[in-house]
Amino acid sequence: MAEVKQAEQKFRKTESGKRLTQLMTEEYTALHRRAGEGAFVVWIAIIVPAEIFSGFKNVVFAVPESHAALSAAKGVGMLQCEKAEAAGYSMDICSYARIDLGTALSGGKDSPTFGLPRPHLLVSNNNNCSLLAKWFDVYHREWGVPHFLIDVPFCYEGQKDRDRAYITAQYRDLIKTVEQLSGQTFDLDRVREALRTTREATRHYKRFIDCAAARPSGITAFDSFVQMAPLLTSRGRPGIDRHFAMLADETEERMRSGLFPVPGERYRLFWDSIAPWHQLRKMSARLAGLDANIVAASYTSCVGSHEGSYELLQSYDGGDPLEALARAQNFSVCPYGLNLRVNAMTRAARHYGIDGFVFASNRSCKVYSIMQMDCLRTVSRDLGIPVVMIDVDHADVRTYSEEGAFTRIEALLERIDAARQRAG
Amino acid sequence: MGELFENIRRIKKSGSRAVGCFPLYPPVELVHSLGLVPLVLWDIKEAAPSLGESDRHLQAFACSVARRLAEFILSEDGARLDGILMYNACDTLRNMPEILQSGLSEKGRSLPLLRMHLPMVPADRADANDYLAARVNDLVRGLEEAFGVEFSPERFRESARLYNEARALARRLELLTAEGRVSYREFSRVIRNGHFCAVEDHARELSSAVERAEASPAVPNARRIIVTGILPPPDGLIDAIEGAGMRVAGNDVASQSRSYGHEAALTGDPAAFYCGAYRARRACTTLLYTADRRIDELCARAAERDARGVLFVGEKFCEYEYLELPYMRKILDEKKIAHMEIEIAAGDRDGAASLRTRVEAFAELLDH
Repeated sequence: MAEVKQAEQKFRKTESGKRLTQLMTEEYTALHRRAGEGAFVVWIAIIVPAEIFSGFKNVVFAVPESHAALSAAKGVGMLQCEKAEAAGYSMDICSYARIDLGTALSGGKDSPTFGLPRPHLLVSNNNNCSLLAKWFDVYHREWGVPHFLIDVPFCYEGQKDRDRAYITAQYRDLIKTVEQLSGQTFDLDRVREALRTTREATRHYKRFIDCAAARPSGITAFDSFVQMAPLLTSRGRPGIDRHFAMLADETEERMRSGLFPVPGERYRLFWDSIAPWHQLRKMSARLAGLDANIVAASYTSCVGSHEGSYELLQSYDGGDPLEALARAQNFSVCPYGLNLRVNAMTRAARHYGIDGFVFASNRSCKVYSIMQMDCLRTVSRDLGIPVVMIDVDHADVRTYSEEGAFTRIEALLERIDAARQRAG
Repeated sequence: MGELFENIRRIKKSGSRAVGCFPLYPPVELVHSLGLVPLVLWDIKEAAPSLGESDRHLQAFACSVARRLAEFILSEDGARLDGILMYNACDTLRNMPEILQSGLSEKGRSLPLLRMHLPMVPADRADANDYLAARVNDLVRGLEEAFGVEFSPERFRESARLYNEARALARRLELLTAEGRVSYREFSRVIRNGHFCAVEDHARELSSAVERAEASPAVPNARRIIVTGILPPPDGLIDAIEGAGMRVAGNDVASQSRSYGHEAALTGDPAAFYCGAYRARRACTTLLYTADRRIDELCARAAERDARGVLFVGEKFCEYEYLELPYMRKILDEKKIAHMEIEIAAGDRDGAASLRTRVEAFAELLDH
């Protein structure tokens, strides 16, 4: 316990952490304020390219998944899930969806952000998960709000030109829809500017998560989970690039000063799943007590990449911004297949010098989880690195057993030790 | 092993080739027109009774449709298939092609695997029809290459006609079931067989079933219900439903009326055919562009068949179905249609006693 407490001391908020809290508070406050002042409100699925909405002067967007993650991290996930279940939604439905439904159906009660302002338009896509379309359909029916679905072909190989053209055409339809519903005029130059901001923010975010390549690592994956938030809620907005620049600068400075989250780091682990939002502090502290650090995660290393990679590839050279956004439409892990996932994970594991993999099987996220058993075997075989699978729902703490998970993680660490001994 | 295994053996013996299709609504007409036999691999509990192979690849929170599909394809019986065809029916099935290829590879096997992306947006949206048309044409070429066959517009039109004919017979048999001339269990058996055999054979079986049913007397005065779900209730549960004096007067089951409920306009052009056929389909929770009409269609069916209750057969872990359930309940309540939900999971025993008790209570509810 003493070790855990010591580790917790090291998790005191950094300046970037404080700034993140301020940024997110301002973000949600501004969202409610602008909605109250008559802005056109769009709810989007997490990888709908939010930069498009920058093309309108008075359109704001909210990201229910991100709000659900925040709710889970703030400890109200279970409460909101229970409200949704009481309204008839099955416990087998994604916990993000249940949190969001619980929040919306209770008018934002118990939400850390007072919920989200009611939307004028719902925009989902079906490549991260089709569940989002069904989830948004609930509001579409209950509130009579239009629902625009972007159909994005899944990538078993790299994205094809024909698919990019198809996606881009749908963005143009989306723009027309927003113009018609909001009465506002779209300005493509504003999207260009937003895309430049995103590119810069992503570049600095990559610089930040790359601090994990050092030994000991300058960050934990838990830091990257938390700091990812503005890339989802504030994408393209002026100023977020500065936040990420300062985050990367500060992290590099801390490393130069000898400050590391797990100074005695002996085990460098890789996480495959969505963040365990209800366990961020507890899990990272307990791992640190074991001299273990989850230094990187497929959930965050994919940011700024293309399908099947982890390198920073999302760029913008001033061409058609819609096509550039379409090119990045499959960057997150769920919209691509097993071979691409293994490729991305293998490259990331080599880059970060990973000793072991933690596959977090997540009944709430079937798209992320179904593939993990084959992914686990392939990665283990190809890299000769020990792997473990644990059960963690990303936002519903009720199905999580800390002791069960750590028994397996500790066994993984023992296997890493055994492999080292064998290697001499 | 049941019908599926026997049928594959028969298909192979006749010199033809069997293509295992992922559920729910693969382009079977096209496969058939190329001289191949499409088999839609769902409702295959008999052919995949255990889940040992599947459990090596899929977590237990995958639905039974996915787990049994994986089990069958990776089993020794699945080795008799000549190829696999899938489309983006749902998130779980979308993730599976490479899992199956990996599983087959571990066994030193491989199969041609063809894929098609079905746009999930309304037809009037940008490029949706053009995109689908191009994917269908890609699939034609892919099938030609994989199986060394040649596409013919005439044969395609004839295959489409045969499927339309079989679907019309299935709809006729559903009406006869509503009249009590044939049991829902027998109806489900005949419809299930159609997924596992050549359409010509199925049309013959349906014709015989219709003929027998038409020769049987109608049985009035039953408690009429509609069954909705991905798969029909297991046989033991159907026995309980019918034993409790309920009659399945119609269904909104994906492997049943959502599969045979439409009639597609005939043409020799597969791209044009599927652009029309996928839009003409009955609403399904998995066809995202049909979301706005699904509950309306269900209620219309209940009204048309004078049904007083709806039985929701929940496929455990199917989020598509479960996310619509609260709304379905709300609308059914508004229309004063009784409803009951049961959940079927991969490991459940057929016709469990607890479900029987609930079914009997539901039947009594319909009298009030």
